[in-house]
Amino acid sequence: MIIANDGDDASETAALLTRALQFGDSMFPIGGFSFSSGLESAIQKRVVIDAATLRAFTRTAIEQAARGDGIALIAAHRAAVVGDVDALTRIDSQVYARKLSDEARTMSIRMGKKFTEIGVEVVGAPLLRAWRHRIETSVTPGCYPIALAVNFAAQGLPARQAFVVHQYGVAATILGAALRLMKLSHIETQKILYELSGQSEGMYVTAAAARLSDMAGFAPLTEILAAVHTRAHVRLFMS
Amino acid sequence: MIPAAFPPWARVEALGASMPEFVSFQDEPLQMRSGTVGKTGFLRLGFEHRTGQTILATLERRAPYMVQRALHCDEEMPGLAYVFLITTTGCVLQGDRLALDVTLGPRAQAHLTSQSATKIHAMDANYAAQSQTITLADDAYLEFLPDPVIPHRRARFLSDTQISVAPSATLLFSEIIQPGRKHHHPDERFGATVLSISTSVVRPDGRSLFAEKLVIEPRRYVMRQTGVMDSFDVFANVILCAPKDKAERIHERMGADVNFAESLAFGACHLPNDAGLIFKVLGRETAQVKAKVREFWEIVRQEIIGAALPPRYLWR
Repeated sequence: MIIANDGDDASETAALLTRALQFGDSMFPIGGFSFSSGLESAIQKRVVIDAATLRAFTRTAIEQAARGDGIALIAAHRAAVVGDVDALTRIDSQVYARKLSDEARTMSIRMGKKFTEIGVEVVGAPLLRAWRHRIETSVTPGCYPIALAVNFAAQGLPARQAFVVHQYGVAATILGAALRLMKLSHIETQKILYELSGQSEGMYVTAAAARLSDMAGFAPLTEILAAVHTRAHVRLFMS
Repeated sequence: MIPAAFPPWARVEALGASMPEFVSFQDEPLQMRSGTVGKTGFLRLGFEHRTGQTILATLERRAPYMVQRALHCDEEMPGLAYVFLITTTGCVLQGDRLALDVTLGPRAQAHLTSQSATKIHAMDANYAAQSQTITLADDAYLEFLPDPVIPHRRARFLSDTQISVAPSATLLFSEIIQPGRKHHHPDERFGATVLSISTSVVRPDGRSLFAEKLVIEPRRYVMRQTGVMDSFDVFANVILCAPKDKAERIHERMGADVNFAESLAFGACHLPNDAGLIFKVLGRETAQVKAKVREFWEIVRQEIIGAALPPRYLWR
């Protein structure tokens, strides 16, 4: 007997969900744990002092991601689905050109390279190999949102899931760092994550309708915190 | 004469028609239509190095934009061409389209500033837009440091700046944005509807160096949010395109801090592709932010030219 809820492609859905969970896991070994995305400086400079300011700081980060990297990620997923590596290279260079702090660039290209390499080893699709080749030969910087889009497209996972995984990763990186930097309970960070995740769908719809040239943002204090962090004497995190 | 088919502001007109943040503002003012005579200012400035000093070799202008002449009034850099950008209307209104085209030839040195703050008035139809192109040849040096932009309540403003800079040239380009006339009305602080500020920088061969698009929409995104403006009111965005070794020395000398007691935050980051630095300042008051931008300007001038700054104007 088939129950309506199961759907006809239930086995395929389960397989895809498992893949999205695996590659979207905040513990996926691409080094996300070594970055705090400015939180370390934010705490040192008392910009973030409690759960409420942490929530707002994280919200700023996911809003910026949705208005910038998220648009590029969706464009890259479209290019990856049709195997257009040249278009991917153009999108990648535009993402890189919009990362105006050293630490944001380092984080994006380190995680992007690692993510692509693991994808080649684990999934092994020709598109992933082609993309790794472009990164290894310095044809393209290999930013993380592009790597994520290429990987998900190669596995037949939709752009919407790639977008949500990216947004989740931005929040999880900051909240994971918060547990190590602040006096805060796991329950508080989970509440923040749960609440902010609820906004992903609306952000996806906006980002999916935007053109690459519409990538924008406005978070000057976050950018100043990145400048403060590069000059800090004591650093636990790389950003 | 400017040919009617491709006026200099055609590009910004096309951008205004296509950017999502201006979709709802395509209606025409009840007053003069957008982009008509008197609402389309244009300036073309060409600076060239001649024996010992830089001259304003090309000047085309169309009201409400105006430039009178280059002065050589900076005693620390006597060869520097010093030009005031004048807007005869005194403010920016809905439907205004401004275009500025600045070119510096090899070794030319210029300083551009405005006469006063740029006030962008409240709008109930359409939007105001400006397009700027800046081209710097080898060893050129440009300080483009206008007074702040003051967006009034319900202002809608689009600014697009396209820069081409030779690897040996230096561009110091500052934009200071006030939250409005902050003591005028409680709604005035971050009362603008939309400010969209795009900058993109390329090498003369067309290779892209970096791009930034700041979109300020206080009704969609909370301005006071942690990481955005927090408790600060005034924002400065300063771009420095300079050779890598010099940019590195300037970065070392300019500190970075967030200080709530003094209501001041500032810091510089390295731009991608060894383009230079981006320096951002946040403060409670405009004077603090201007002083910090001046400090950065002073370091830039010392490191690039080896010259000091002129004394501060009494009223600026």
